[in-house]
Amino acid sequence: MIKLEGITKTFPSKNGNVTAVNNVNLHVKKGEIHGVIGYSGAGKSTLIRLVNLLEKPTSGSVSIKGTELTSLTPEKLRQTRQKMGMIFQHFNLMKTATVYDNIATPLKLLGYDKHEVKKRVEKYLKIVDLFEKQKSYPSELSGGQKQRVAIARALSQEPEILLSDEATSALDPETTNSILDLLLKINEELGITILLITHEMNVIQKICDYVYVLENGEIIEESSSIELFTNPRKQTTKKFLDTISQRKLSASLISQLKLNGTVTRLTFIGENTGQPLLAQVSQKFGVEPNILTANIMELKNGIVGNLVIHLVGEAEQINASLQFLNNQGVTTVEVEGE
Amino acid sequence: MEAFIQDWLPIIGQSVIETFQMVIISLFFAILIGVPLGILIVLTRPGQAMANKVVYQLLNLFINIVRSIPFIILLFFILPFTKFLVGTTIGVQGVIVPLVIYTAPYIARLLETSLLEVDSGVIEAYKAMGIKTRQIIWNVMLREARPSIILGLTIATVSLIGATAMAGLVGAGGLGDLAYRFGHLRYEVDVMYATVFILIVLVQGIQSLGNRLAARLKKD
Ligand SMILES: Nc1ncnc2c1ncn2[C@@H]1O[C@H](COP(=O)(O)OP(=O)(O)OP(=O)(O)O)[C@@H](O)[C@H]1O
Ligand SMILES: [Mg+2]
Repeated sequence: MIKLEGITKTFPSKNGNVTAVNNVNLHVKKGEIHGVIGYSGAGKSTLIRLVNLLEKPTSGSVSIKGTELTSLTPEKLRQTRQKMGMIFQHFNLMKTATVYDNIATPLKLLGYDKHEVKKRVEKYLKIVDLFEKQKSYPSELSGGQKQRVAIARALSQEPEILLSDEATSALDPETTNSILDLLLKINEELGITILLITHEMNVIQKICDYVYVLENGEIIEESSSIELFTNPRKQTTKKFLDTISQRKLSASLISQLKLNGTVTRLTFIGENTGQPLLAQVSQKFGVEPNILTANIMELKNGIVGNLVIHLVGEAEQINASLQFLNNQGVTTVEVEGE
Repeated sequence: MEAFIQDWLPIIGQSVIETFQMVIISLFFAILIGVPLGILIVLTRPGQAMANKVVYQLLNLFINIVRSIPFIILLFFILPFTKFLVGTTIGVQGVIVPLVIYTAPYIARLLETSLLEVDSGVIEAYKAMGIKTRQIIWNVMLREARPSIILGLTIATVSLIGATAMAGLVGAGGLGDLAYRFGHLRYEVDVMYATVFILIVLVQGIQSLGNRLAARLKKD
């Protein structure tokens, strides 16, 4: 559906060129939700703006449903953009227009007749649950409600693709969740393919099938979200994961615990919380597992459990225990101390 | 008092009409020229839809030059042009041309400021929806800028009223001319006070009308 190949974007600036996006490849299949996560300045906004050619790539190809965008005439490009909705961090609604007009204006400009405009505005206001607010002005709405209007505006053109540039970054956690639920609903019920960018790991956790980690304009790691949550490889990825779980124990505590035994992080996929396995380990190998931290994360496509345990016992028995856990499909990683 | 009104009402009334004529006609043409000029200067700015350095800088230069000439000088400076355009350099007709040339660049500048204040995010959102630049200008930029444009036009109108005071120099009459002729040259101070009073009321009225209209359109 969306395919970026070898996309690079360089901005000229006073002190040399800035490469905001560097040789990025990305492929979002129909009906999937993909997320790009990265810190501020990583090039996320530039990347998503390249998808609908709000930013022209310096090199590389952008193809939407098999059509190469970079070679389209302005007229054809406008037509393609009509099939791609976009939502933004700051909503980008007209302040002087009511909720109704904010959705109706683009439709009218795109040439839909009065009747159709009204039908669509009402339909999508209902979908985002704001039908009662149609006469309000944006200044009379909360952040979450404004984003709902923006989503309705995007949906009213019945796009096949939705691009989201930090749509929840200006919202509180609870409102963020309700917007994410709405995006999931749009994806599931209307079958809209979504590409989003964010700096919040919980956004990825909640709705993404697949993740790209962007750093200095490059994708440094990519995988399905389950894989990313269970087996992060790059330091930046681990740091993002630390933001949503108390994965971190102080290095001095770890060093102290390591005086007798090991400190190990266990990651499970699925409902299996690990408790029964630990009991088995204890019985089988005569080691004593103590749970230091535990959490369970609900991802879009499954559940990932995370345990940090202190295993006390003979070195040989500990190794055998870890081996056993590995065989049961549990990822084990030793936690570093000082 | 009654005698004063009896004597002067027709003359003052005539002057009010002349002032209104000059302001309304000049404002009409100044808007007709100033608005497209303002839009053009925004669009040709670097990074905008029709970015064009040469046009942008020429427009800027032109606006700055006209804006730096005091009206009284402009009035005489363009006499030949006025003559060429309307066939006369005196009377209301003769003063309209310099008034328009004086006000249009001012309106262009004010409009430019108003349009640049429009949230670039909204414009980007409309671009992303595949809407034509022309439609974005009319239906998004001008619409969102309305409150600020109204305030700008109010300022331009007030400054236009000020400029009409000098219209007497080419025999176009008006309130400013009345105050000057009778108040200053003939020491009929009452006439001067009355005229000044009317001007104050006029300016106040226009300003509060503008403010109220802008407030009504502004929704945040
Ligand atoms: N129009 C531009 N001209 C010059 N440099 C730009 C431009 N747009 C972005 N950049 C540069 O490109 C880099 C990436 O910017 P971008 O806005 O894509 O980052 P981001 O990941 O979206 O950050 P944030 O989370 O803060 O929004 C930055 O170094 C920025 O300064
Ligand atoms: Mg950004």
